[in-house]
Amino acid sequence: MSPFFAQSIGRAALAGIKDLIQRIFLRGENPFVSYATNCMRPPGAVDEKAFMALCIRCNRCLEVCPYGSIKRAGVGFAMGTPYVLAEQKACYLCMACCRLCPTGALDSSLVSPEKVSMGKAAIDKSICYSHLFLEHDVLPDHTGRKIGALCNTCYNVCPLQDKAIVLRKNLFPEVMDACVGCGICVERCPTRPKRAINVIPTGMGRVDEAGFYFRKAKGHYESAVTVEKQGQQGVLKGDRLLEQKSRIDATTEQPKFDFPYSVPKSIEGWD
Amino acid sequence: MYAPYRRAVQFAALFLVFFIPVLNLFEIYSITGTFYAINIGSLGIADPVVILQALFASGRLTVPLLGAALFPVIFALLFGRVWCGWICPYHLMADGAAVLRRFLRARLFRSSFPEKLPVSGSFKANVVRFGFLMLGTVIAGAVSIPVLNYVHAPGIISTEGMIFVKERTVSPEVLFIVVVILLELTVLPRFWCRLFCPTGAFISLFRARFTLRIENSAKNPKAPCCTENHCSAACPMGLAPYREGNNLLCTNCTLCVDSCLSKRLRFGGFRLGA
Repeated sequence: MSPFFAQSIGRAALAGIKDLIQRIFLRGENPFVSYATNCMRPPGAVDEKAFMALCIRCNRCLEVCPYGSIKRAGVGFAMGTPYVLAEQKACYLCMACCRLCPTGALDSSLVSPEKVSMGKAAIDKSICYSHLFLEHDVLPDHTGRKIGALCNTCYNVCPLQDKAIVLRKNLFPEVMDACVGCGICVERCPTRPKRAINVIPTGMGRVDEAGFYFRKAKGHYESAVTVEKQGQQGVLKGDRLLEQKSRIDATTEQPKFDFPYSVPKSIEGWD
Repeated sequence: MYAPYRRAVQFAALFLVFFIPVLNLFEIYSITGTFYAINIGSLGIADPVVILQALFASGRLTVPLLGAALFPVIFALLFGRVWCGWICPYHLMADGAAVLRRFLRARLFRSSFPEKLPVSGSFKANVVRFGFLMLGTVIAGAVSIPVLNYVHAPGIISTEGMIFVKERTVSPEVLFIVVVILLELTVLPRFWCRLFCPTGAFISLFRARFTLRIENSAKNPKAPCCTENHCSAACPMGLAPYREGNNLLCTNCTLCVDSCLSKRLRFGGFRLGA
């Protein structure tokens, strides 16, 4: 054997060992120290605390997953527990893992993909091509190239199309409450380096749903809906407001925008 | 001679570690799982320690959980701690480490490794292993995480095998196996199976009068029956098999039966084909 040949074999072996060590330790990033976007538990998972108690790290969900979506968490308390990293490989909702879970950490009675709740997708309107196109027509991407696109990839790949993601005015996508958080839209979203659509896993707090004033406003909205059901004219919001505004015509009689609440004359302790 | 059959069964179990994921790659799902929990057809089997921890940690008692633990418990009641001695892939690796150790002691290091098992005496060893099991279960209940799964040697080996087949890599848990094997090879011979393994400790609790065991057919089974004492030297668990065949540590590995020159040791209790 020539020395050159031996040297190259040795170099290849060293490179292989180095690669293996890197793969062991670099894939050890642990997404469940705290919640992170695009890191979801597999479909049918019970809430995070019960999941940590019930999951015995047997990795049968990982074994049976035909898409290779399910990964293992690395060093830490959650070591060995399964998760789906939507940016790498999303869950395709085949529901094979739920059936197999021996301890009920994944709900084995769950068979229909519509009832999964791994998370909720949220669109970042400042990067989404469709939303940007709507506002600017033409825009630079991260390389400085001018692009303008009606992309709507998330709408096209969504397994619950027209339920979880709808196209508003055939122009821009919007995520609805039916979203199960499978993450296929995240996997396919073309924007780089950040995705314009991200899945926020179930149990993780959302900025736009947090805090007292949000809950207060939500309660106000709900009360307005109930008022409307009773036959009075409620507070209009969103599409219905747009619809009513579009019917405003200066030549005809103007519709009335009533405020259906009685305003108190005095407030306690405010004299 | 039981040794060849035992080795065959052990190697078959080790083969299964790599073969089950290969089957699943070809989309044959009649047998799935790892040694934490396995499904053969529709029969679900799970490690009873794992189930025990899940019960303590989650505080909920469900029928599928108990049903999965039922089969190993019945198996242990009939055959004793046969899982450890005959099937567990870690025990096979520990056997290999013991052979390598004997070679290193004799040829290279000139008896610089200790020969004695770390905690001598079966009673002390049992106290240590049941203490470890109880401690682990209590911690699992307290922090709501099945902590003993991090040190579940057969489960880790089979999981790593599955990951190796599926992804051509291994995960950090494999370091646990490496460290324990290195310790067994150098300073603490046979310490994991004998003193710590929670699975072995838990399934050895299930022992009845009809359980398979090692029996001494001499007239006085409590007294040493020969001067050579090959059986005690052969026992990997540090027992004296002529009188401690019914000890909770015994794995029915039959090394003592094979080593007995006068053929006094044999299977007792519920007998196989006898």
